[in-house]
Amino acid sequence: MSKIENTMNTLVTPAEPAAAKPPVARREVIESPQRAWFKYLAGMGLALLPFALLSNDAHWVNIIAFTYLMGGLAASWNIIGGFGGQFSLGHGVFFGIGAYMTAALVIRWGLSPWLTMVPIAVIAAGVAMLISWPTFRLRGPFFAIATLAFNEVAFVLANHADSLTGGPRGLMIPFKAGFANMIFRERWQYALLMFVFAALVIGVCVWLRRSRLGYYLLAVREDEDAARAAGINVLAVKLKGMALSAFLTSLGGTLFAMYLRYIDPPTIFTLPEVGVKFALLSLIGGIGTIWGPLLGAALIIPFENWLRAEFADSLPGVSLAILGLLMVLAALFMKRGVVGALEDLVKRIRGSNKP
Amino acid sequence: MSTTPMLEVRGASKQFGGLRAVDNVSLSVNRGEIVSIIGPNGAGKTTFFNLLTGQLAPTEGEVRFLGQPINALPPHARAKLGMGRTFQIAKPLIALNALENVMIGSFLHSAALATAKDKAMAVLERVGMAHLAARRAGDLTLSERRRLEVARALALEPQIVLLDEVMAGLNQAEVGIEIDLLRSLHAQGLTFLIIEHNLKVVRAFSDRVVVLDRGKQIAEGTAEEILTSPVVIEAYLGQGHMGKGGGVSLEPLQQEARA
Repeated sequence: MSKIENTMNTLVTPAEPAAAKPPVARREVIESPQRAWFKYLAGMGLALLPFALLSNDAHWVNIIAFTYLMGGLAASWNIIGGFGGQFSLGHGVFFGIGAYMTAALVIRWGLSPWLTMVPIAVIAAGVAMLISWPTFRLRGPFFAIATLAFNEVAFVLANHADSLTGGPRGLMIPFKAGFANMIFRERWQYALLMFVFAALVIGVCVWLRRSRLGYYLLAVREDEDAARAAGINVLAVKLKGMALSAFLTSLGGTLFAMYLRYIDPPTIFTLPEVGVKFALLSLIGGIGTIWGPLLGAALIIPFENWLRAEFADSLPGVSLAILGLLMVLAALFMKRGVVGALEDLVKRIRGSNKP
Repeated sequence: MSTTPMLEVRGASKQFGGLRAVDNVSLSVNRGEIVSIIGPNGAGKTTFFNLLTGQLAPTEGEVRFLGQPINALPPHARAKLGMGRTFQIAKPLIALNALENVMIGSFLHSAALATAKDKAMAVLERVGMAHLAARRAGDLTLSERRRLEVARALALEPQIVLLDEVMAGLNQAEVGIEIDLLRSLHAQGLTFLIIEHNLKVVRAFSDRVVVLDRGKQIAEGTAEEILTSPVVIEAYLGQGHMGKGGGVSLEPLQQEARA
């Protein structure tokens, strides 16, 4: 045997004991389903706590209801925006489809939102796939800009299609209280409804994160070429992710319309309030994580409410400036949001406990 | 077993504007073979690879895989047919851990998480990376990332694996480990087509070697034939090295060949 091969063999050996080590890691490499769903239940229980404590305070119940709704919507956005890495700013379109179609069907034919919300969400998913088909050829910021344009088109359409949307005057849903109409006398009933919505969306995310589609979305986000080489049909995966995201966003739109009972183009399609807000909440809470969007909503929605109330007279618009600043800071210093920062903290504590 | 080659390329060319990156290259790889493609930088090796995997469409020529023309198939469909590949610049999915990276491959034939996970773990064990399963791919070393790519390709349960310079940038010890790994995978029945810069690696385990230079196929033969071919030495070292520099630089390899 030559010298070179000799040295090679001795150098090969270091890999052997490593391979012989038991492959069982201290922590599970992939979370068990029991653990994942237990964490889900615990998390949702925690999310219900503020509501349980403040259910007598109408002002807070309103804020909490919006927090659940926006948290659920941001989590819906996060499916394609976070897991799939497709930074859509046009989710206002799907939100608008849910809100407008629900309101129109209630007003015209008195159809119960319970019956119409799912078919409407299916339509929103179809529209999402239709407009995404060409847009998904674009990558990164170009995709974001294209989706932004869709939101603006929707705004103009809603303003001009008077007969369907009421144009700039908007649509008013008459107050006929009753479970069948999804109209409630008490705010806490809405808050519970929004909670169920958030729980549904986050449940879908927990399932997705453990499914083939979820893993494929992550692979597409990380590297499209590597994904293709692994047998992934990138366009099909993006379209599926977008459809699921739009479906859930539309359900949120339905709830929003039934809660406010009045919608007009600025309420539905104003970017900082809707399309961009979903992304912002996810960014601050932790983009691409399961709990990030809900946590982002829990931090931002009450804060924003307070800012508005505090500065509405003295410095109108300051809340937007502050939120914009927060977004920049999060983008610069907390790339994985609050959830990411917390995970790092836990890691550091665990690491320092080890000898 | 039929005598049709597993992978066959007939007269493949790729034109980029005024540049003919691949010029009329024909090649066949039989089941169980290890075929290497070598050539100086810019010879068109990676472009040629991309014609095979579908990342690029050939300007002319035909690619057949398992007896079937695959020119029209996108990369993911070729992967489904049984073509695994790695990239010259490793593409680990850095936010995922090593096991999840391999699962991205094993999901191709197993939709259920538990099955995909078990298969991925088995592949990690096969390549000696089971102890790194929980490590984030972004925290792996270069050689581990390269090997992770091989593992992800293996998880596709491929018929053939195309390796694009998996040894580049590795130190001698790591190269030795990789060669052992590829040999053991080959012994388990896998077919390989590899691009390699390192002539020592090529000679260590190729049945046949194809040499590309400026897009053209300038030689084909066994490693021994290629390493002593004047045409090849000239392509690598330039004119005037024959008999002097060329002979000297290849001497250690030839010595090793005898050992």
